[in-house]
Amino acid sequence: MQLDSLFSKKFNGLCIALTLAGACMAAQADQLADVKKSGELVVGTELQFAPFDFTENGKQKGMNAELFEQLGKELGVKVRFMDLPWPSVLPGLEAKKFDVVAGPIIVTKARKERYHFVLPIAEATVALMVSAKDSPISKPEDIAGKVVGAGKGSAQLEELKTFAATLPKKVDVREYIDNNQAYAELGTKRIVAVANSLPNISYVAAQHPDKYKVVMPPFGKKSYFAYLGRKDDDANSLIAALDSAMLKMHEDGRLAALQKKWLGTEMDVPKADFEPTW
Amino acid sequence: MFDWPLLLQNLPLLLDSLLVTLEISVAALAIGFVIGVIVGSLRLSPLPLLRRLGGAYIFVFRGIPLLVQLLFIYYFLPRIGLPNVSPMVAAVIGLSLAAGAYIAEIMRGGFLAIPGGQLEAAGLLGLSSGQMLVRIRVPQAVRLTLPALVNEMILLIKASSLVSVVGLADLTRTAQNIAASDYMFVQDYLMLAGFYCLINIPLAFFGGLLERHLKERYA
Repeated sequence: MQLDSLFSKKFNGLCIALTLAGACMAAQADQLADVKKSGELVVGTELQFAPFDFTENGKQKGMNAELFEQLGKELGVKVRFMDLPWPSVLPGLEAKKFDVVAGPIIVTKARKERYHFVLPIAEATVALMVSAKDSPISKPEDIAGKVVGAGKGSAQLEELKTFAATLPKKVDVREYIDNNQAYAELGTKRIVAVANSLPNISYVAAQHPDKYKVVMPPFGKKSYFAYLGRKDDDANSLIAALDSAMLKMHEDGRLAALQKKWLGTEMDVPKADFEPTW
Repeated sequence: MFDWPLLLQNLPLLLDSLLVTLEISVAALAIGFVIGVIVGSLRLSPLPLLRRLGGAYIFVFRGIPLLVQLLFIYYFLPRIGLPNVSPMVAAVIGLSLAAGAYIAEIMRGGFLAIPGGQLEAAGLLGLSSGQMLVRIRVPQAVRLTLPALVNEMILLIKASSLVSVVGLADLTRTAQNIAASDYMFVQDYLMLAGFYCLINIPLAFFGGLLERHLKERYA
């Protein structure tokens, strides 16, 4: 009995210590406060996703840089970008190598389970891009029986597979580590089309009209591009602050202006939490 | 096929990133060499425990692809409470550990080729095993294994093209970023290949010179 009580005393003590430690951690765990304290919001991204992120003369350019500059102003912090190959970006977010991920990526149900999305910045509906010279594809359905590429692990790839399944002849879907490899493959004729979100391929085709053109209309369901952070409770404060900054940019027209500049047109995107179509 | 003005415009960017590649390669070679000498001599230790320790090191760091090691060091270690190191540190650690494993095996070959009589003589002259390692075994082993070591250096420099997975803008990553914005894939990657040759051909050349020099001097 005595041993029992001794154990329970110790056990109680341990519980108290753990609770205190837990409380301490809870008090510290506020990502917004951490970001403000360091004065720097670190953003993970891949500088190979025009028009959102790309390089010109070695300098980052695109919608992400300008949009985050504004978000940083609203939060009162500097913004620092880290460039990684896309497969390293989401693991990096989870390993706390940076605060948020730019991308942006399409909001899907499965991704919403795992990550905390900021309000969307653009529409992301999927379409096809083909070679500008003598392409056999003039409407999305023409890819039946042909070879088509898309980014590995991307929502756009899933969208392509879903669409391909509705066609009479089987589509050979090739997966690429990044979209640029797929674009390069259009040049080698190994594939006849690349499936990606309309903002991306419109921009690429507009920059290189001699090489690429977009096949209208888009074939995918309506979907949206958004930035994202960690799903942990401590990240809520940061995402909430980014959300309200984004709303402010909706209201004063800054977001629309950036969309027009980089995506060619203003886009109607949700201003509150929404249910993704897939 | 070539867009020369664009090529010239991209050149300074690649030169900057060449420095990153050189920095991590040189750091990893230096640290890897020290690890290689230590692990290589562990493998030849009279104590079975030390031999096994050296063997285990080589088993792990030679057996796991460098890409996986880099990802592990950068993304997984912070999750189990180890320090959240910078991309540069993670890249150098990853490359050094792997290079250490290969160099250890090269050095072991070199150590084995040194006649046992020399070590006995050195022992009789009162040299400690540490002194023997630094003064007798390593200098001779390096001379004997120079072609293999130069080979390993070149392999390491090429392997450093993997470090972009931890967020470091080395030569390869920079060329990829350039290609992703100008879509001149063939030209940009040819230039990238050229840059690696630019490092490795002189390295092989000076390796050969050094080899001849050592042969004339000591053989």
